[in-house]
Amino acid sequence: MQSLIGGAGSGRRRLAAERFPGARWHRLAAGEAAACLEARGGGEVLVVDGIADWLAAALAETSDDEALRGLWSGLLDGLAAAPGEAVLILDEMGRGIVPMDPAPRRLRDHNGWLVQAAAARSRAVWYLRHGLCKQLK
Amino acid sequence: MIAFVSGGARSGKSRYAEALLCRWHARRGGRRWYLATARASDAEMAARIARHRRERGAGWHTLEVPLALDAALAEVGDGDSVLLDCLTLWASQWRYGGGGSDAEGEALLAECLAAARARGIALVVVSNDLNEDLPPEDAETRRYIAFLQRLHRRLAREADRVVEVVAGLPIDWKPIDDHDPETLP
Repeated sequence: MQSLIGGAGSGRRRLAAERFPGARWHRLAAGEAAACLEARGGGEVLVVDGIADWLAAALAETSDDEALRGLWSGLLDGLAAAPGEAVLILDEMGRGIVPMDPAPRRLRDHNGWLVQAAAARSRAVWYLRHGLCKQLK
Repeated sequence: MIAFVSGGARSGKSRYAEALLCRWHARRGGRRWYLATARASDAEMAARIARHRRERGAGWHTLEVPLALDAALAEVGDGDSVLLDCLTLWASQWRYGGGGSDAEGEALLAECLAAARARGIALVVVSNDLNEDLPPEDAETRRYIAFLQRLHRRLAREADRVVEVVAGLPIDWKPIDDHDPETLP
């Protein structure tokens, strides 16, 4: 598994398109589990997008933080264990002011933990900033 | 010679950019220009501008550039050194103060970068990193961030140096060519 991390408009999708020209792209739907991987053949590169939106939808479904953690952790496990290689488009959204409302605060927290967990499971991690990238791992 | 310097609020990006420009200017000679995108629209802004001006000291030609970057650059001589501070404010003025479309804004920036390069102008552009926060609630702010990121990606692609400033210290995002003394920090 590989991860591309960056803020809005940092150029993650363009980099993924350049690096993995033959890849299949999959945008996670709300509530979708790692089942999206079953349709995939071995050796194929799958760019997985929409993870932050998927997380936001999952957040709205449950107030149980442990259950939520289990959900995204399961998704990452599925992506990491599947044949071929998943390339994750991940969002950096933790560099602003702490939100007043609990809901965006919770999104920010879980997104940060998810990104850390994804990076830990990835063999390569890229951080993008204004279209340029640095390899972090 | 073009540099793109950005960072968070009070990261020291303006100070770093100014020091970088002064080093380039010391080597290159010519005149030293400060292109201010800020207008003194209220007392706080006026005080902020006055403080920046005091900190820069003498020896700068200052132009206020709320929108017309190309016209300002036309006043600058070939081979001069130019500090543009800051692009974030220019982007909001372009969108909400009578500039034009996003595509026209990006085209104007691209035209200025090409002109600076063609005329041997040393240009340092300062901006704010605003895209690593939670996605904004309202669509208008999201569109503004998208426009600003278009400009930032364009600048990062064209610049010789791209520097992220954290606590006044630089993190380089583009390799520096050690063989070219002009690009040395």
